Amino acid sequence: MDQLQLRELEARCIQEEQPFCTAACPIHVDVRAFMAALARDDVRGARKVLDRTMPFPEILGRLCDAPCRPFCKRGEIGDPLAIGSLERFCVSRTQTMVKLPKLPNKGGKVAVFGAGLSGMTAALDLARKGRPATLITPDDDIGGRLRSLPAEILPGEALAQARTILAGYGVTVMTATSLDDAAVTNLIDQYDAVYCDRDAVGALAGPFAAGEPDPLSLALAQDGCFAGGGLGTDGNYSVIKQVEDGRRAALSIERFLQKVSLTAQRDKEGSCATRMVTVIDGIAPAAEIPPADPAQGYTPAEARAEAGRCILCECMECVKQCVYLREYKEYPKTLVRRIYNNLAIVQGTRNANKMINACSLCGQCTVICPHDFPVAEVCRSTRQEMVATGHMPPSPHDFALEDMRFSQSEACRLSRHQPGHDASRFLFYPGCQLAGSAPDLVVRAYEFLSGNLTGGVGLMLGCCGIPAHWAGQQALFAETLDGFRAEVAQMGRPTLIAACSSCLSVFREFAPDLAVTSLWEVLDGLELPAGERRRPEAALALHDPCTARYQDGVRTSVRSLCAKLGLAVVEPALGGELADCCGYGGLMQFANQPLGTKAALVKAGRSRRDGLAYCAMCRDNLAAAGRPVAHLLDYLFAAAADPDPLARANPGFSGRHENRARLKERLLASLWQETSVARPAHAAIPLLIAPEVAALLDSRLILEEDVRKVIEHAERSGRYLIHPGTGHRLASFRPVRVTYWIEYETIDRGFRIHNGYSHRMRLPEETP
Amino acid sequence: MSTFSFAEATAWQCAGCNRPLEPAEVKVTYLNSVFTVELMVCPGCGFVLVPESLAVGKMLEVEQLLEDK
Repeated sequence: MDQLQLRELEARCIQEEQPFCTAACPIHVDVRAFMAALARDDVRGARKVLDRTMPFPEILGRLCDAPCRPFCKRGEIGDPLAIGSLERFCVSRTQTMVKLPKLPNKGGKVAVFGAGLSGMTAALDLARKGRPATLITPDDDIGGRLRSLPAEILPGEALAQARTILAGYGVTVMTATSLDDAAVTNLIDQYDAVYCDRDAVGALAGPFAAGEPDPLSLALAQDGCFAGGGLGTDGNYSVIKQVEDGRRAALSIERFLQKVSLTAQRDKEGSCATRMVTVIDGIAPAAEIPPADPAQGYTPAEARAEAGRCILCECMECVKQCVYLREYKEYPKTLVRRIYNNLAIVQGTRNANKMINACSLCGQCTVICPHDFPVAEVCRSTRQEMVATGHMPPSPHDFALEDMRFSQSEACRLSRHQPGHDASRFLFYPGCQLAGSAPDLVVRAYEFLSGNLTGGVGLMLGCCGIPAHWAGQQALFAETLDGFRAEVAQMGRPTLIAACSSCLSVFREFAPDLAVTSLWEVLDGLELPAGERRRPEAALALHDPCTARYQDGVRTSVRSLCAKLGLAVVEPALGGELADCCGYGGLMQFANQPLGTKAALVKAGRSRRDGLAYCAMCRDNLAAAGRPVAHLLDYLFAAAADPDPLARANPGFSGRHENRARLKERLLASLWQETSVARPAHAAIPLLIAPEVAALLDSRLILEEDVRKVIEHAERSGRYLIHPGTGHRLASFRPVRVTYWIEYETIDRGFRIHNGYSHRMRLPEETP
Repeated sequence: MSTFSFAEATAWQCAGCNRPLEPAEVKVTYLNSVFTVELMVCPGCGFVLVPESLAVGKMLEVEQLLEDK
């Protein structure tokens, strides 16, 4: 990722866009922060917000005509916030909290003609920028039109405080000073730049007599002369317009004195558009809470309640749904920044590695995002970059990649034409996870397909390679896909029937030359198997897998099959193209195990009902999270007398391993009358493992095969420890990159397993 | 570099040598890093015990730290 890509990505996330009120405000007061402070009873904190943006909070806080109000999102569900009354409440009860800095004197002499609010603002802003300003008025005090306001609207102290503020920043105030034609001409010569507050002094002589100022810079035809303030184009007097013009003029004069463009990059000044999106679904309507005594204004309790109605507009639409973004407390813009910084580290700790590897790559956020932010693609391509540069830690993906290699090994892979055929029109590809989770269902589905489709239905067992793709291992992924392609070619390029949405997505995206369809669409086109079937007692929540997000045909056929089977299903709160990942996607559960469990629980929790999945990983992960869940094939092919599919346990990693190997042996023997390759010596070691020990080993990613290897090695070499009290043995073995320790005892016919753990650090006597 | 000791009295004994384990310095390696630590080792054959608490605790912590370097 380079910096340009980073910027482009960042720009797509709108979470840091201004909320609607702030964008509409001509001086962009952070209304959201103001409301949040008041809502938590932090009136001083609210005052700080005003002090940071408003030139004279004591005045503007009492008088602002609040052009932001019509843009308040709360207006769509109740009334817009009473911002004016709340600001008045705030400034009436607080003193100045933040004094903005004054930059060192940069020179340049500036005069401001007229001391209305616009002139006062221009003089103050210029003084803060280090440009000494002289405020000149024919009146005997500053304030212009404000001086005529009654004290209950604007108390005298407010203007007195304004005088103090101006003096504090070194503004020279010249009252009772003539601004007649001769004086104006004379003064223009004495100053480098002049701003005319047209509300306070009207149209003056010379350059100020005629002509409208440029709306963007307020510059007049004569260099160094600027004018603003006064009535708006609608003929009304707006307090905030006076401030906006004064501020705009001060910035123009600063630019004029610096001899830079008066107009470049000023589109965000003044009231502007925002790309913010705030979804108000689910927010209860709430009417404005007016003060009980309008003359006295809000009481603290009333102000707190009214400010508490603020929705605190933000986007966060993806974060609301995504367990991963919530876990890492990021939204896409901050996430991508962290990823960029992580990639940029040359020496030091790459703290974001785990985060990068924990995304499920499911793409739900991209569908939700108004600007299609591609979090998954960013994370995945970052993994690829980490692999390419040698910075990918080995532990997050080792296990899944080994599992994939096993599925691709001679122990599991299989490719055959239908018995009695020497060609295949179709090729059933159940995928590694269905073979691991429910080998019986693979057998029954294959029997059904080969009995109901003509032209020969071949069978292929293996792995599509998606774990390598997810792990950023491009070379391994390409190799797997090439091997797969060659094998399909050898079978005569039949139409693939994929049972797994992940396989289907891989083939469609990376092998578009192959003819591919889904098992579900094929089944939907066939007469379903006859016979008495088991039915669940209540309607089930239909859980789409995340990888079927862009597979409308699959999702439609699944629903059609459910209807044909008489299976009552309901849609969970989030499904279809918004479906969550179960925690397996992107190898999330290997990079961050607790997060994987959370993801499964979130997915299951989208409905209170028992679940129905048609992805084997969703099925097993939801089951592992303790939720009753069946696979659609259970209801298609299981007989009424079969055990309740909703109660089928998660087979765990060892179970899946074993299932895959046994499925091949079983199919070879029963359908093709072939014997399998001999299993290694350790495969015959009988183990006795209590369920809680099996669960511990599974969570520690220790396969029974690893356990057998340890025991085989220990018993053969005699190298193990023995516990004199219990008689247990403790031994270790390092097949490849992980050292496994197994505590066991010898029993009559095999070994009872008591414990297992592992480490990646290498001990001196270990070679690999 | 000083040697960290993870040696703790243990009931485990070496089956092959029929001897109790004793603390000894051991070099463990991971991703091009080498650490000398004190562990319980069989004085006869050099069998090194990595107890469960160490494997799932400090050792895992250091492994992950090194992986992110």
